[in-house]
Amino acid sequence: MKMVFQLLLLAALIAAGVWLWTILFPSPENIIRKRLAQAASEASFKSGENPLASAARAETLAGFFSTNVELNINLPEHGLHNLAGRDEIIQAAAGARSMAGSLKVEFPDMSIRVGPDKSSAVADVVVQVQAAGNKEFYVQEMKFTLQKIGGDWLITRVETVRTLS
Amino acid sequence: MFGRNPKVMLLRAALWAALCVVVFKLLFIHIRVDGISMLPTCADQSIYWVSRLAYLRHEPQRGDVVAIRFVTPDDSISRMEPPHIVLLKRIIGLPGETVAFVNGRALINGEILDEPYETLDCNWNCAPVTLGPDQYYVVGDNRSMPQEDHVHGKCERNQIVGKARL
Repeated sequence: MKMVFQLLLLAALIAAGVWLWTILFPSPENIIRKRLAQAASEASFKSGENPLASAARAETLAGFFSTNVELNINLPEHGLHNLAGRDEIIQAAAGARSMAGSLKVEFPDMSIRVGPDKSSAVADVVVQVQAAGNKEFYVQEMKFTLQKIGGDWLITRVETVRTLS
Repeated sequence: MFGRNPKVMLLRAALWAALCVVVFKLLFIHIRVDGISMLPTCADQSIYWVSRLAYLRHEPQRGDVVAIRFVTPDDSISRMEPPHIVLLKRIIGLPGETVAFVNGRALINGEILDEPYETLDCNWNCAPVTLGPDQYYVVGDNRSMPQEDHVHGKCERNQIVGKARL
């Protein structure tokens, strides 16, 4: 019994070591995963948000994108929307905040492929959006293209993907 | 609180925890239906179990209701991890077959598919689609809804998470 307990303890220590290693030295995939989750968090908002805080968060959200970012969003019920550059993202974020009371954006599933140059990546993302007072949520598959610019992974392109095509 | 022998108690707890992770995360996943695309077979907000062991010995069959992940996993580890959101659909087309819809009836290689589960009216028309060697054609049972609002089409074998136990 003592032997089994020691083995379990050793396994737990090894697992903790591996976990610590991934925290201290995260892979590019994990960095991108974390960054996209932060972007989703910044895109979310609650009702009654202070206008100044709201503007600041829209600016923060734009910071996740490159200056020449392109967004091509084609939703079945909302048509085609094209955005280019950070300014248009800030405007769109402000517009969304004025139209919806609150919005919860999450990326529950992601698949990330980092290029061989280690400075570009493509993330296939499931985007889940829930509006204020709405029990149901909207799910859309999207493709994010990212580039490592100035040490940060920035989103350079976003496009909707037609599921099961 | 820990009984006579705390070590035995901790060991048991660890084994139970490991068993729960294996059973409820790796072998079976539970899903809650959100939407009407699988009516009348699966009602909105109903809960089902998906078996990830179903296709260990054989490949998916026509008529199976399967859970399909949206994004293809990036490596073998994330393939083991169950997705948070899946599509629940029925397989009607198998690899290499040609699938079409004419006046609401599904055609497989030009032959009308017998679908006893399909009880709602349908008027869909879709051009023939030929499946690749690793592709399946999946569609919901509720084909009374507009064709453009109903997610259906080709999926890759590695997108199929498991078979729903109805």
